[in-house]
Amino acid sequence: MVFGAVVCSQTTVSAAPDPTEQLRPFLDKVTTTLSDPGLKHMPRQEQSNRMIGVIRERFDFREMSKRVIGQQWRSLSEKEQAEFEALFTQLLQYAYVGKIEDYSGQRIQYLQQRIRGERAEVQTLLVDENKSIPISYIMLLRNDQWMAYDIVVEGVSLVRNYMEQFSEILRKDGYPGLVAQLKEKIADLEKNINKS
Amino acid sequence: MECMKGHLRRLCLLLAVVGMVLSGTSLAEAAELGGEVGYGEVAGSVDFLSDESYEKPTGDVQVADPIEPFNRAMFTVNDRLYLWVLEPVATGYSKLLPVDIRGCIGNFFYNLGEPVRSANCLLQGRFRDAGLTLGRFLINSIFGVFGLADPAGDEFRIAPIYASFGETLSVWGVGDGFYLVVPLIGPSTVRDFSGVVVDGIASASYSPWNDDTLTTATAQGTRTINRTSLHLGEYVEIKSMSFDSYVAFRNGYYQMRSKQYDHSNHSK
Repeated sequence: MVFGAVVCSQTTVSAAPDPTEQLRPFLDKVTTTLSDPGLKHMPRQEQSNRMIGVIRERFDFREMSKRVIGQQWRSLSEKEQAEFEALFTQLLQYAYVGKIEDYSGQRIQYLQQRIRGERAEVQTLLVDENKSIPISYIMLLRNDQWMAYDIVVEGVSLVRNYMEQFSEILRKDGYPGLVAQLKEKIADLEKNINKS
Repeated sequence: MECMKGHLRRLCLLLAVVGMVLSGTSLAEAAELGGEVGYGEVAGSVDFLSDESYEKPTGDVQVADPIEPFNRAMFTVNDRLYLWVLEPVATGYSKLLPVDIRGCIGNFFYNLGEPVRSANCLLQGRFRDAGLTLGRFLINSIFGVFGLADPAGDEFRIAPIYASFGETLSVWGVGDGFYLVVPLIGPSTVRDFSGVVVDGIASASYSPWNDDTLTTATAQGTRTINRTSLHLGEYVEIKSMSFDSYVAFRNGYYQMRSKQYDHSNHSK
């Protein structure tokens, strides 16, 4: 009887997983990794590889890439899509490696979540001593797993911001131009990382 | 002493309650106005859960940018001013004063703007927010020692409320005009910049330092340096991540603004 009830409750949980409950252990893992003293002593390249490994667990970079490109995504070949996804992930990896040094034990507060169909928004607050920054995670349900595809910091969506910049590049120089600019930017960031 | 504290608390509570009652009674009126004022449907508000907000490039929040060459030039001017003057000065300043003192100074300046915010709420028909903002001003001025601390936010859970004359004009149906990068101020639109000017004149009318230009300039300078000192490194970081920083900041301005204008979500 008791066993039955437990099984029952578990199946209902797995039928509709809670986005916040899935995000929480993930962000705990991110902050634990960030505050690991060993991490700060690694070479920067290795630091960023390790962080992206953790972040991949709950970020869907393919969905993110698709949205950043917008309507033109469908006209890209499969190879181009994969290429773009790899480049865009690398861009974010290098752009955010600086965050590792900035992290100083900020706490995450969970405000509320909204679910509509297979989409969800989880609103959080990154609480520092003297300021708190609202950060929302926009997520998509994939086989019982809520995967983030956008991050909204103080109302500014990362995807929509890049989308506008990329759409002008795509309009002027097409997809090859965009790839060239991405590669150039990544090389720049890479140089900076290994320098400092 | 304890007894004194108790009295203070009670008085505080009373003030807060008065504020809420004031705002509560007006809610009905606001609801009646609702259709006209367009409470929940702020122009350009965005729902991240709908695909439309991703499909067309930033959709309806996009404002025309007919003077882009001028704006780009001003963007460069501001960029240089920031990197060559403001950031070095703010970095030095941040070494002189500990972060919590700078936080208090920031609170002080923010608190001085509360009456203007409250008035804007009234002009927009947001009576509840007008009451809450006024409540914040009273609580923080009295119990937060001229606004240095934020007991209204910390103890009474009345989060800061956004309101500006630019927003008031938008509620009244005044369009944005076009995108405008203002020297020293940064991204704006013709309407929003007019709002900034009006808000500035309004708050100068009761500021403690409106005696002469020098004091006013010093106060404004301190405010800017103090604010910058709390956000060191952010500008350079955003710039290093962007492909066209002019477009990145223009887009960021519109996105941030539509969050500020959206009051449907009083989560805190």
